[in-house]
Amino acid sequence: VQPPEKPLQAEEWNKLREGFQLPEIFEEVMLNSMIRCNSPIDVAKSLLTDLAKRDGDIAYNVLVKYLTLCVQQGQVSEIRDVYDIMKARFKSLESGAYSLLIKGLSNSDQWRLALTLLEEVKKVMIPSRTCYESCIKAASHHQEMKLAFELYKEMLAKDVVPTLDVLQSFFNFSRGMKGAELQKELFGVLLYLRENQIYPHKTFMRSIKLWFESIPGENWRGHLTNIKDSGQCPVCKRQLEDSSLTEEEYSNLSERIIRDVIHGADTFRKTSPKEFEAFQTFVENRLPFDIVIDGLNVSHIKSRRMQCENLFDAINYLAKENARLLVLGRKHMLVNSSNWKREIMKEMQNKADFFFAENISEDDAFLLYATLRSGKHCRFVTRDFLRDHKACLSDSLTRHLFRKWQRGHQIAFSSSAEGRSINFSSIFSQQPALRYDCVVQTTGDTWHIPYKDVFEEKYSYEVPRKWLCIQQK
Amino acid sequence: MQCANMLLRKIVRSSVLPFAAQHGMKKDLFPLSRTLSLSLCLKQEKSCEPSEKLDLDEWKKVMKSGLQEDVSETVSEPKDLSSLAAARETLEMWRLAGRAVPENISEDELKTFMECTSKSAKKKYLKYLHVKELHKKNDKRKKRERRLEAQNEASNTDETKKSSFVYLSSSTMDKTYNWRAAQSMIFGQPLVFDMSYEKEMSIREVTNAVRQLVLSESCNRRSVDPFHIHFCNFKDDSLYHREFIKQYRGAWGKLLITATDQCYTEIFPKDKLIYLTADSPKVMKTFEHDKIYIVGSMVDKSIKRGVSLARAKRLGLETAALPLEKYLLWSTGAKNLTLDQMMHILLTLKDTADWRKALEFVPKRKYCGFVNKPVKELKKTLDLINTLKLGKGREEAENRFAKNHPKRYKIK
Repeated sequence: VQPPEKPLQAEEWNKLREGFQLPEIFEEVMLNSMIRCNSPIDVAKSLLTDLAKRDGDIAYNVLVKYLTLCVQQGQVSEIRDVYDIMKARFKSLESGAYSLLIKGLSNSDQWRLALTLLEEVKKVMIPSRTCYESCIKAASHHQEMKLAFELYKEMLAKDVVPTLDVLQSFFNFSRGMKGAELQKELFGVLLYLRENQIYPHKTFMRSIKLWFESIPGENWRGHLTNIKDSGQCPVCKRQLEDSSLTEEEYSNLSERIIRDVIHGADTFRKTSPKEFEAFQTFVENRLPFDIVIDGLNVSHIKSRRMQCENLFDAINYLAKENARLLVLGRKHMLVNSSNWKREIMKEMQNKADFFFAENISEDDAFLLYATLRSGKHCRFVTRDFLRDHKACLSDSLTRHLFRKWQRGHQIAFSSSAEGRSINFSSIFSQQPALRYDCVVQTTGDTWHIPYKDVFEEKYSYEVPRKWLCIQQK
Repeated sequence: MQCANMLLRKIVRSSVLPFAAQHGMKKDLFPLSRTLSLSLCLKQEKSCEPSEKLDLDEWKKVMKSGLQEDVSETVSEPKDLSSLAAARETLEMWRLAGRAVPENISEDELKTFMECTSKSAKKKYLKYLHVKELHKKNDKRKKRERRLEAQNEASNTDETKKSSFVYLSSSTMDKTYNWRAAQSMIFGQPLVFDMSYEKEMSIREVTNAVRQLVLSESCNRRSVDPFHIHFCNFKDDSLYHREFIKQYRGAWGKLLITATDQCYTEIFPKDKLIYLTADSPKVMKTFEHDKIYIVGSMVDKSIKRGVSLARAKRLGLETAALPLEKYLLWSTGAKNLTLDQMMHILLTLKDTADWRKALEFVPKRKYCGFVNKPVKELKKTLDLINTLKLGKGREEAENRFAKNHPKRYKIK
């Protein structure tokens, strides 16, 4: 239905209602289309007046719809009125109305009322992140940074994930303000980005830069830059943090991968205890390897060629550097077939160690185990993103460790369309030689912040290549 | 002109109202004073509009005037409600807001609702209750209608009822079915349901599994040559057990099946057992009458791949999957079927050994149709069609087809 352009009289509304096929939901449908068309609020008012005169009451859902329209247009006094009516009429409100009210009021000079409403919501449930967002933004907009940070901490304590907007608003509204306490809080936000491996987008990065440069008397200067493969920042000549895991992190990760990925709830799901034991002794007797290869994955590089030829090329390429290779495969590769020629298999087995798992076992789990057991220098070759294995890890901290390790140790490849050769490079659009860690980092008098060029989320395996370098002169 | 008007109105509202709000003071004490000042300024702007008589804020007065009595009531009520009552209240408000929430909710359901750990879990649970309620209402209505219809018909056609048709009462049928089931208990081919998946399932999933088992049992009982159903690894007082009693009530004790806490490997020779699982690498070719098939009594809504395959591996049993790919052009959906569908398929196979007939019981939405040529051939044609569609030129596609044809075909 098309909403009218001007307020209507009761008779006119009646006419419209009668023309509608479902008169009992006429108001709802009409208000919905008013919200969609952003109709003038007076039109909605005339509808409500008609409804009130007819029934002597207005249903809750209709009021909420009207409220949505008011919030959409920022009609603060109307929002107040609807709130008064709702509060008097109903003992409590539901979450939808609360978040509308909070959103509507936080943008006005009545923003403190939004805070009281937030308290009311908390009595019944955990407020949504948009509720918190509105309140925090309102508080920081009015320079009540302390209050804003209290809300922010409360939100984190309740496991509500803040939006990037909230984090950005802290930097926007603290610009030019002095205070050790405030500075500490904002550094805390940067560390939150670090711990959760969140990369700010371009405008957010700009807010951070401007805030740093605005701190009175501290003389921070920010520059945009690209970090070289060596990990040295071209602006301040500092070396970025190493990407390799610490001893403790490393042993933690290997332990968790054996426990959660390989064994999981039931060792039989991915392998069998007997097979895993056999694999363990096989690996322990031949340690350490330099490169572990997912044989089946590599064999599919070029679909027009025989699978064993693909694998043969890859092994030849990687064996050049005199590296110790381990190839993981399945038993069916040993059966002479059109794709797996026995002679070629024999030749390959002279150049690398092979382990053949059962046809129904998952070789990826073995790949991870062998690489981790060989030590930090060992890398692995597969095109697989290993997302399903990451998902097996039970907590986000270990998952982050896994990603970090994967970034530093996975070699991927792509087949060039025409030529016969295979290009090996890292899967993450960066060289396998990448030795620095891509997270927000600080040395006290410098900060290095990686940022995304575009607003959209990148794939989780891609890391940004652009950095903001901030140093104190 | 109208645009300018609107703009003017907007400016007036945004500049005057905050002023009015600031000076209107303590509106909580004098709720009407504000409304008055508001309608005053609205009247001014309306003076240029044709619909002069309309008071746009009249609805507020109506809403507030109807309140006077209510307010005194709410005040007298105790402020701190118990958490249950508070939850009930929230639900009521959600219902008023038009969300999918049941009208009536029992104490137990309310507690389950409060125990849900996340907001989405709560929403899902409420929706489930809501839909259940709707179904119940519809069923009741239909029953009432049917009863009325039957009454009407009865009064109309009293005569015909006394006809001389041979009439089989349902109890006679029951006796026949039970006779067959009893025979199957002695001579029938065993079919095992593995009841050891309780830990892998949520309560809802167990309930669904039991429902499917009840359906399977009934279709088995009605068949010409029933299986001898075994519930193995069945623990007394397990969740399964309790759900069965809920479903069957008194009939549970009289059911012509074997329920045991023993494992199938203890009852039957290992080499006769075949575990049916969609994850099996082996595909079933024919139904064998001297084998004992095992079906896992598991409803797996979250994806837990390879659970039953792992079980069979652990016990060293042979496994098999239905040849769905071979006979059906699969379109969407998981390859795991419900327990009653499995039962229908197995019964049909046992009676007719006809895969096409048996696989009729696979839900139609999951496949496009039956395969009339070998799958490999079909895939080739499909591939050819796709290349032609992509417009890479006929010749090239034909060349590629010819090139591929003698060689092996790779399925991506």
